[in-house]
Amino acid sequence: MRIALIGNQNSGKTTLFNALTGANQKIGNWPGVTIEQKVGYISNGTHEIIDLPGIYSLSPYTLEEALSRAFLIQEKPDLIINIIDATSIERSLYLTTQLMELNIDMVIALNMADMFDKKGISIDIKALSKQLQTTIVKISALKRSGLKELVDIIESQTYIKHQTQSIFRPNVEKIIGHLVSQIHQDHARFIAIKLLEKDPIIESVGLDIDKWIKPLEQSYQQDIETIIASGRYDYIEKVKSQTFVRLHHGDHTTELLDKIFLNKWLALPIFALIMFLIYYISVGVIGSLTVDFIDGNVSALSSWMFDWLRNIGASEWSASLVADGMIAGVGAVLNFVPQLILLFILISLLESTGYMTRIAFFLDRLFKKFGLSGKSLIPFILGSGCSIPGIMATRTIEGQDERRISIMVTPFIPCSAKLPIIALFAGFFFPNYAGFVSFSLYVLSILIILLSAIIMKTFFFKGTPSAFISELPNYKLPNLRYTVRDVYDKIAEFIEKAGTIILMSSIIIWLLTSFSITLTYGVDVDESILAYIGRVFSYLFYPMLGDLSWATSVSAIQGLVAKEQVVSSMAVIGGLSADITEGNVILNAPIYAFFTPASAYAFMTFNLFSAPCFGAIGAMRKELGSAKKMWQAILFQTGLAYVLSIVIYQTLTFIGGLL
Amino acid sequence: MPTCDLQTLSLDQLKTGQKGRVIKIESTSKEIKRRLLDMGITPGVVVEIKHIAPLGDPYDIKVRDYDLCVRKADLSFIEVHPL
Repeated sequence: MRIALIGNQNSGKTTLFNALTGANQKIGNWPGVTIEQKVGYISNGTHEIIDLPGIYSLSPYTLEEALSRAFLIQEKPDLIINIIDATSIERSLYLTTQLMELNIDMVIALNMADMFDKKGISIDIKALSKQLQTTIVKISALKRSGLKELVDIIESQTYIKHQTQSIFRPNVEKIIGHLVSQIHQDHARFIAIKLLEKDPIIESVGLDIDKWIKPLEQSYQQDIETIIASGRYDYIEKVKSQTFVRLHHGDHTTELLDKIFLNKWLALPIFALIMFLIYYISVGVIGSLTVDFIDGNVSALSSWMFDWLRNIGASEWSASLVADGMIAGVGAVLNFVPQLILLFILISLLESTGYMTRIAFFLDRLFKKFGLSGKSLIPFILGSGCSIPGIMATRTIEGQDERRISIMVTPFIPCSAKLPIIALFAGFFFPNYAGFVSFSLYVLSILIILLSAIIMKTFFFKGTPSAFISELPNYKLPNLRYTVRDVYDKIAEFIEKAGTIILMSSIIIWLLTSFSITLTYGVDVDESILAYIGRVFSYLFYPMLGDLSWATSVSAIQGLVAKEQVVSSMAVIGGLSADITEGNVILNAPIYAFFTPASAYAFMTFNLFSAPCFGAIGAMRKELGSAKKMWQAILFQTGLAYVLSIVIYQTLTFIGGLL
Repeated sequence: MPTCDLQTLSLDQLKTGQKGRVIKIESTSKEIKRRLLDMGITPGVVVEIKHIAPLGDPYDIKVRDYDLCVRKADLSFIEVHPL
């Protein structure tokens, strides 16, 4: 049996999905966490269960809603589990009334049953089930209660089977009935109502709909969409009044916290402070510690490994491959794991507490001026972990232009892979101000995002209508288990990348640096193959580096593979170029001696804003919808990065000369 | 005397903490109107202004027992009876 999991955004679908299937899909306390359907299995694989993006209605408004609706109509699942949040029961049942129109069996999972007492909610489940003619199971996805009962009902198929329900007033129902009799397709009632509503996707098959709509609109003095929507809510209110009692409304803790976090005067300063602390602590303070690690542990391990391999009789080249290629390259990246753990924990807290939606709410006004939406903030925050989920999260943005601009500027946020570059350079060239220099790059990225957005809005986008309509969820305490899981998954992915792509690239870089064009081993790095390749590019980088450095230039280009690779490549080349007894010293290597604070800052800037890694480019291609737009985005990003880093280098050098 | 009852305002004219009963949604874009209806802003429903964002936009309104954020420009199309 195929089972579709359907419910409002942020209703706990994915939590239920994880609990039922044992999967570990990402959850969060903000609307729109799930953007693609996920498949899992229950009952030892006999039943397939599909987690769909959260929707409020079957009238597709955003991309995810269109996806969920298309799935229901075209894929025709055998059963719908409709998950309902009892704390916003009217809005939840609005979707239910639409699902009831489909010719598909349904079971309602009434979620957050553990909270009913606390919230003063009491529901007469039997009466509600009778009214809706649908089986209802009380569950708590988070506490994992009621799940066995839900699964039992599914397995034994003892749920109430689908039957048509008339919920609208008689004159509306009469027209629907008439239309249904003329539609010889599955889901006739659903199609009939959508036809009445003039749904843009459903085609009227030679039926004159207007002749039915006009008299209705006249008698109600409302347009047809309002009549249908009101009809649903009228029905829901009637059902609710007979089955549902709520003693106290609202969430006390949320109201209290919002008095502070949404306070007119405090909201923005608190937000700025929180963001500063997050990046100052994870990038600045811990960042300077990890840089010492690089010069310490990795170089020690690398030279120890080299000596050990030589002692057991390994040839010099093989010892160098392991020590200077593999360990130096991968180690340079793995050093940043402690700081990433901290960053990922902090991002996870922003997501799971419900604060992130608040930030989107109070920044909307500002962002809108620049052609973005308040919801663009969500891609930006997720993007500080990785651009790819950030770019995909733009799907919740309603305005087409705002969404496209957000996709193009999300890679400007320093992601976890760019963080090694920032931490390394800031720690080495600005040892006493590493935290502030790192933070200044985050500030710069925000400024550049706003600037780019306004440029794009002014010159490239026509100005399609935009809106900001979003639910504001209650605050929640983060669930420790999920935070740990979330952070663990991201770190595991980072380490896996270091062990695969970075390792392979490091070996290639070692090969290209250790051999000359005539394939002789052990030449001076300046005579190596890579040096020849790099010299071609070094002219391009001259205006921002002030030196024809082939080593730096080839490393920057490798950022396309993965941004961490910039650091890895510099480590491998630096280690090989220095006398082996010095160990791996990255920026201490003579080959990088030309760097000044000005060129270091310019180089960081270039890596930050230029084309993202291939993974993120792929995500941009997918979300922008065409290769042409993707190329435009890449050219824009790289062009901007190039000009900006040259301006920064020249200006800082000029100021430096004056001092 | 009943003139007071007939007073109508657009939703963005209400103050924080004030409630109003929705009369109708005037024409904003078709999509936005549809979305507002789907989210529960239908004629007859009571809405309350909970917060206004520190920069003056958008608004956080309470409708059907949950919080919904909507921009001021879109609220100006919603006609209400202040309560």
